[in-house]
Amino acid sequence: MATKPRQPAPVPKRPVSITAVVDCVGALASRSMQGNLYLYDTNRAAGSTGLGTEELRTKVHRGDQLLWNVLALECEAYVGIAGIEIDPEFCEPERKVYPGTDVAYWTATVKKDSAEPVPYRISFLLGTRAEAVTTTLTPALIG
Amino acid sequence: MKPKVNIVVLVDVIGALSDDTLHNGNLSIVDDSALRSTGQGTTELCTVVSPGQVVGWSVLAVDLQTPVEIRSITFLDPEGRPAAAEPPAADGAPPAGESSAGEQLDLDDWTAVVPPWMTPGVPYRYRLELRMHEGPHSLFELDTPALLCGGPQN
Amino acid sequence: MTQQLAIIVLVDVGNALASRTLDDNVYLFDNMKLHGSEGEGTGDLVTVLNGSYWNDGSQGTELVLNWLPYSLGSIPPTVPRGYQVQRARQSDQQALRELAELGSAPAGTGAGSAAELSRIRRNVGTPVSSTLRAGGPAGRKVLDVTGQIVTDAGASVHSVPAPIITDIVGEAVDQKIMYPAEYGSPDLVTDGWYWSATVDSSRPGTYSYTMDIQIHDLVERDGAWVWQPVNLSCESRIKVTSGPKRNGFTKAGMGPLPVAPVTFPL
Repeated sequence: MATKPRQPAPVPKRPVSITAVVDCVGALASRSMQGNLYLYDTNRAAGSTGLGTEELRTKVHRGDQLLWNVLALECEAYVGIAGIEIDPEFCEPERKVYPGTDVAYWTATVKKDSAEPVPYRISFLLGTRAEAVTTTLTPALIG
Repeated sequence: MKPKVNIVVLVDVIGALSDDTLHNGNLSIVDDSALRSTGQGTTELCTVVSPGQVVGWSVLAVDLQTPVEIRSITFLDPEGRPAAAEPPAADGAPPAGESSAGEQLDLDDWTAVVPPWMTPGVPYRYRLELRMHEGPHSLFELDTPALLCGGPQN
Repeated sequence: MTQQLAIIVLVDVGNALASRTLDDNVYLFDNMKLHGSEGEGTGDLVTVLNGSYWNDGSQGTELVLNWLPYSLGSIPPTVPRGYQVQRARQSDQQALRELAELGSAPAGTGAGSAAELSRIRRNVGTPVSSTLRAGGPAGRKVLDVTGQIVTDAGASVHSVPAPIITDIVGEAVDQKIMYPAEYGSPDLVTDGWYWSATVDSSRPGTYSYTMDIQIHDLVERDGAWVWQPVNLSCESRIKVTSGPKRNGFTKAGMGPLPVAPVTFPL
């Protein structure tokens, strides 16, 4: 009688991290994110496209945890995400901090699959400026 | 008499671009003149110089990695207006004291000799124009620093 | 120009470990886009270095390059570097408090204590020994991408340490265009070490260079969890140009200050 093959341990589900690399000086001098923003995610192997552009298309599935964080090109400059605007039926990003620090990240869980790409906008806080600057071109999540 | 006086302009580029101003602590000018300059470290530096000395300006970003360049230095008349510029050359080249956008500002060496015709004891204000990156909010001007001739040294 | 040049090396460590190559898994940036750098944000960056020379031929601009490696999808570098040790210590203190409470609980709660003990043991997390060259302290633990202590290193997803550049070699170094070296720094963003180079701009041209990068994989060895180093490399290029220094006022040689003789009212 053939023995049942041992089930492989389930592969842990990694959250999908979306990182925004921002040229702070460029964005402040032109008050626009266009030409000053590069978006990446960790899901290229699963089908994300547009890495390095402002029109990233991140491949996601229902139930995936998404994480947005931001990196400044000038290592001593401050940049933070002021908000993420996306259809709340799809996901609702909320702001959290790394425990014990005041460094923030935004996270959301994908509520449903979508046949169409779901576009979103990110607004950034740059330097000591109180007014946020919002993305010109549009990244999206694809199901 | 020292042969050269160095004037160093220190800029917090992120601060200046965020606040849209060179004030608020975003700019500080210092010099190494052996004579008593006033306003060291502020936007109102008045550098004391002597005829025959070389004066040189340089600019530095406080975090070293952000771009800032001197675009022009223009002396102002007593009413605070730029001194009458020379008419542009026939081929449209920019008048002396200005760089056109797109030229490599980092090749410019801002030095000059103090002429003997500066009236001693009178502050000659100049307009310092800085460029940080490019775009509609990248040019900044300051009209408050000055040079003052301390008179010929014995 | 006195601006120092920064080159950011963003490594998709997860995919690089899976495919054991940095091709398509590294994204390079510099702060010289304004001066003509090409390929920002891709694996194929050409960093433009605009040098200058005085009329006696000596180099007029000090060109300093700094490299900053980051890991894509991990805890960002803006989170203080002492963070991991801090979190480890916090979780140890929490466990000690809970053990003390358990110890002072009335006798007779045998079954409950066993379950409690095993919960505390899990929450203490997984200590990981480090072969990181920077010498990780023994107090490090595995964190996940949101900074929480990981309770079961095999089943959860963890944040990986930033990649480390171990060497910079190649044409630009061999031809003595670039002089790289590793420097110590108190700046916590770079974990205390960073690579920096000065550039000789007297021979304009495009030169390639290779970065040897070390990333880490979390593996179980003899019952303990260890960060195993994996050595990979990636190539990039610098394009050196040089222009003549000229006087800002005259656009030629030095002259008198452009100050007109002015009659001030008495």
